[in-house]
Amino acid sequence: MASWEHVDDNRKSAVRTLNADPVITPRKNHIDIVPLGHVDPLAVSVVAANLQSLIGLNADVLAMNPDPEYAYIPQRRQFDAIKIIKEISRNKQGARLKLAVTELDICTPILTFVFGESQLGGAVALVSLNRLQGGAAETVFERAAKISVHEVGHVLGLEHCWEIRCLMHFSRDIEQLDSLPLQFCSACEYEATRRIRHLYSTLSRPSS
Amino acid sequence: MMPSMRILVVDDEEPIREALSAWLIKDGYRVSVADSGLTALACIEDDLFDLYLVDIKMPGMDGIELLGRIKERQPDANVIMITAHGSIQTAVEAMKKGACDYICKPFDPDELSLVTERVAANQALRNENLALREQLMEQQESSFEGLVIESQALREIFESLREVAPSSAPILITGETGVGKEMVARAVHMQSEQAYGPFVAINCGAQSETLLESELFGHERGAFTGAVKARRGRLEMAHNGTLFLDEIGEISTKMQISLLRVLEEKRLQRMGGSQDVAANFRLVCATHRDLPRLIREDQFREDFYYRINVISVHIPPLRDRLADVPVLADHFLEQYVHETGKRVEGWTQRAMGLLMAYHWPGNVRELRNVVERAVVLARGHMIGADALSFLQPGLDDCRFGTMTLKEVEISHIKAALESTGWNISRAAKQLAVDRSTLARKIKRYQLTRT
Repeated sequence: MASWEHVDDNRKSAVRTLNADPVITPRKNHIDIVPLGHVDPLAVSVVAANLQSLIGLNADVLAMNPDPEYAYIPQRRQFDAIKIIKEISRNKQGARLKLAVTELDICTPILTFVFGESQLGGAVALVSLNRLQGGAAETVFERAAKISVHEVGHVLGLEHCWEIRCLMHFSRDIEQLDSLPLQFCSACEYEATRRIRHLYSTLSRPSS
Repeated sequence: MMPSMRILVVDDEEPIREALSAWLIKDGYRVSVADSGLTALACIEDDLFDLYLVDIKMPGMDGIELLGRIKERQPDANVIMITAHGSIQTAVEAMKKGACDYICKPFDPDELSLVTERVAANQALRNENLALREQLMEQQESSFEGLVIESQALREIFESLREVAPSSAPILITGETGVGKEMVARAVHMQSEQAYGPFVAINCGAQSETLLESELFGHERGAFTGAVKARRGRLEMAHNGTLFLDEIGEISTKMQISLLRVLEEKRLQRMGGSQDVAANFRLVCATHRDLPRLIREDQFREDFYYRINVISVHIPPLRDRLADVPVLADHFLEQYVHETGKRVEGWTQRAMGLLMAYHWPGNVRELRNVVERAVVLARGHMIGADALSFLQPGLDDCRFGTMTLKEVEISHIKAALESTGWNISRAAKQLAVDRSTLARKIKRYQLTRT
């Protein structure tokens, strides 16, 4: 598992925190990580490192965004993940792909809670650390990394995988999530690579 | 491998449709959405779905009404009702009307996946079941044709059996030992509504009354010494299938009373048990005994006899339908040639003459044994008369001696005509052939009344 301490310098250089200007010149194979409210920066870094190592996406961590009050559901005391995704999608600035990370408890209209949510074949994914707590910090970071890579996989167009040893396999609960390896099966890995190649070959944005 | 179930989501709230649709698409399902009952009905006009997720509370046509309409169009449709907490009663009502499940929104992530996976698995099983049933039906079409017969007598019997087999009426098959009563019972089972259920056979004459009772009714643990664990009886095993009771004439009157009760109540209790167990089956019985005579002798209960003898079938002995001997002999020959790998091609004329002349006290079973032995002992490509010398002593002294097959046939026809006073119709019936067939043979052999 790629924790911050184990991330080499090359990978660390791929994780840049831009505090001044949220508008980034879009680059190839990049994904913007958008913290919503306060999020443990170490967790974000671990997520970024794993996105790079597993999917080959270079992550840019943007400045913290405020809590998404527009998505708050008072009767459930949770935040509507779909509304958040829609709102973030409206921002066309920055990288083609975006991953929002929050510590708020999120849900959808049909589900009591979700670890993460995404647009299948879309542009935005959202993950929450809220329900991943419990256990050592390293364990929580690993869970965050798994959920993030899983949801970004959906954004790339990957569906749930029936292979139980694949990150795209659906996890019903924390125990199942913990049993997942931090890797794709060969079929999903191939598909993810192919889709990224296709996605960025169609972009006309300047590369760095 | 991803599932390819087609799902229709029906909900008047767009966020629900959107969220459900997104979730299910990620699981690899093909999803369509409808915002109302009417829209849903329009969708299923064009095509049917494997699963319907229907919100109970919708303006206009609600989920319950839509459920009914879907079931009219697609009786085996899988419909899961979506309800909010507080509407559980309505959801239960929906299940009584044919919904296969309900889920309360918002639901836990695993709940939805479990429900859809269960439906997908059931659908796969159902499809497999349908495919297997179609295969079985094709076999059923030929189940009576699968029985090797040539004689007119058996053809007529099987024609009538083909008509009554689909009913659930009890059948009593009578005939000498070895005529093929169990084969006929199996053929009836394959043509019946119970064809997809078990065929359970038991020979009532082969065991003592106590053992037979345990065999039929089963027993609970400790019911008697040695009953270390519970055991299902044959009656219970035959539930939704066919129960074949061979040698029904051998059972005691006490057992007849017990069986009569089961037939009437369609339930039983195991030996040593107090709990009722369902036992609904189609009954086929067989006997070689003269049951009406046993009734007169107070050895068989008349009420039980009428209960098991709704349809009666008598299989004539092989000697009374000699036309079946050649085809049966060839059939068994082919079977044992295949099993043994011996290169035997057929019968000599004299060998067939011997087979036709023999009176077959053991009927078809005996013929099968004879053929098997002949094949095993055969030294050439054809089985000759010498291979059949093990048949009953004095066969060479029988009235046919070393006559040819034609001579045997002429002699037999003459004997039948003489015995019926040259009444061709009655003689034909005795020989188990068509009248026209007999008339042709009389003409061909130029037989005249002396």
